[in-house]
Amino acid sequence: MSSSTAADGAKRSLLSRINLQQYVVYVGFLAIFLFFAVVLRDSGFLTQRNLVNIVLQTAPSIIMAIGLVFVLSAGEIDLSFGSIVAVSALCAAMAMAALPEAALPVGIAAGIGAGLLIGFINGVLVAWVRLPSFLVTLATMGLLSGVARSLTNLRSIPVTDPLFTGIFGSGSLFGIPSLVIWVIVAVALGHMIYRETRFGAHVLATGDNAGASLVSGIKVPNIKVMIFMISGALAGLAGLLYSGRLQAAKYTLGETDLMTVIAAVIVGGTLLNGGKGSVIGALVGALMMGMLNNGLILMGLSVSDQMIVRGLIILAAVAVSLREKAR
Amino acid sequence: MKLAMFLGSAIAVLSASIAHAQAPVTVGPNGEPATPVAELQLSDAQIAQLKDGNYTAAFAWHELYDWSSAVAQGAKDEFERLGIAVVAETTAGFDSAVQQSNVETVMALNPSILISLPVDPAAGASTYAAAVEGGAKLVFVDNAAEGFVHGTDYVTTVSADLVGIGNKTAEAMNAAIGGQGKIGYIFHDADFHVTNLRDATFKWNIENQYTGIEIVAEAGMADPARIDDIASAMLLQNPDLDALYVPWAEPADAVLSVLRQQGLDDVKIITIDLNEPVALDMINGGNTAALIADEAYNIGVYAARAGAAALLGEAVDPFLVVDALIVTADNIEAGWQQSLHQDPPASLLRAK
Repeated sequence: MSSSTAADGAKRSLLSRINLQQYVVYVGFLAIFLFFAVVLRDSGFLTQRNLVNIVLQTAPSIIMAIGLVFVLSAGEIDLSFGSIVAVSALCAAMAMAALPEAALPVGIAAGIGAGLLIGFINGVLVAWVRLPSFLVTLATMGLLSGVARSLTNLRSIPVTDPLFTGIFGSGSLFGIPSLVIWVIVAVALGHMIYRETRFGAHVLATGDNAGASLVSGIKVPNIKVMIFMISGALAGLAGLLYSGRLQAAKYTLGETDLMTVIAAVIVGGTLLNGGKGSVIGALVGALMMGMLNNGLILMGLSVSDQMIVRGLIILAAVAVSLREKAR
Repeated sequence: MKLAMFLGSAIAVLSASIAHAQAPVTVGPNGEPATPVAELQLSDAQIAQLKDGNYTAAFAWHELYDWSSAVAQGAKDEFERLGIAVVAETTAGFDSAVQQSNVETVMALNPSILISLPVDPAAGASTYAAAVEGGAKLVFVDNAAEGFVHGTDYVTTVSADLVGIGNKTAEAMNAAIGGQGKIGYIFHDADFHVTNLRDATFKWNIENQYTGIEIVAEAGMADPARIDDIASAMLLQNPDLDALYVPWAEPADAVLSVLRQQGLDDVKIITIDLNEPVALDMINGGNTAALIADEAYNIGVYAARAGAAALLGEAVDPFLVVDALIVTADNIEAGWQQSLHQDPPASLLRAK
């Protein structure tokens, strides 16, 4: 009797030590994958082409999600990254059209530069002017949507440079699509910086307790400016990936990604109020969202049914994820 | 560049027509002449052949709302009649990147026919690359992907007759104010082929066909959310206006609120699209005199039929157009049926 109680206690102690929250996204991903694999076994879901498509389609969201992990981990939020995508893509496309002989470097510089600049402005307003990031980025989101519309008077700009569209869109290296390479590089770098560097530790410390971090010598304002610049630059990169893939840039790019990316990051184990996060979790969360979109379409559901089911599944995933975190 | 060329050619045709005081004509995305949809028919033998073919179809819509839902319903009903199963339906929220993803996703099901309205024709080549590669018969609604070749890359484009809508709008304006009066002309101030051509045709007709009517004020509307300001300013500067042309029904609803606010019961509104609140105002004897609509349901029917004809190896003309109609308080039920193939909303039936 006493030995069984001791064993039960040990089991409970083991369970309590395993942080279930870290695994919600992986279990969810696997469950959804298995469900679609069975239900859609004759509908092309498991074909290599479809699975690669899911990754390619999700690539810009994954890149944005990495930036958001840094922002949320530092206890801030960025609502403007979707709008930065469009502005960056349009800046890149316009720069390439203006200087076609140097399309690749000017496109990259304009796209990433625009993202960095907007991120810097967001960061300065939050860290140095001390305005709430929710309100700052809500305002810049609206402002940038207007800028994106007025930049080209609602027209789309073709992106025709083959080198650019190859690197950021349809190209491949050793048979690996360039978008997949961008995802691998961004996730590896993001994960390493987040987990292995002093900067990553300072980001987490800032999100955990900004006051204590400041007292312990961490330059909290600088960290905050940096994380918004990272988010901006990655949104800029997402803009380049969209324009490379579509071979055109338009003001609508990235507009619909905001909620999906936030949900992916939360489901992936990043706390909304800072101090904890996971780049790998965000990757899996974003892939899960992409797989969900793909599978629901292949199931032949009507558009409204797709929206309802997707909403319910995201709600369930976020609820389970947040409940686990609350324990 | 290609978009600019396309728009340039469309506008050039229109401008040339205007310059020579000739009636504008509806042309396709690449300047093709318009063919009335009624010319596209399938025989009983062809329908039987389609039913035996185990064909499938998918949709990659730009966005679903009342107009596009009517188009979708028309296509679904026609596919059902032809024994073609619809295997997937997607919407892109007006996002070209989402639309490309959707096309790639539905192509995993290898549909025989794909019907789509391109969000961004300039990005069309990459958006529909998977469909062309997969061998689906691609049928466009409203606009074609730039650079695509009719008969090779896509079957046809089925559209509203934009010039026909513009003509009917002017005709309705003439009837609303008895052929005489001063009007305000609010046009869509954006580089958007559909509205640009409708607006320009209305204006051409007023200036050349209905000479008793004078456009005394005109203003561009870039942002529909600011239509209240535009209408208020126009009415302030031109208190003797008899009627207003508003480019489509949603902003017209906001103009109605301005007219009501200012107590201007006699100023008529002519606008485009069937819209419940605006139609309700019309039935209740408000400012709205007429709504101009296209046969949205038929666009879907003939898009589906065109895809089916292509499966049988039939040649389909590059640009098919459906008729436009004037809907007033007197023909609201028939108009709703002809355009959307459904009864008017209950509020309109109750108000009649």
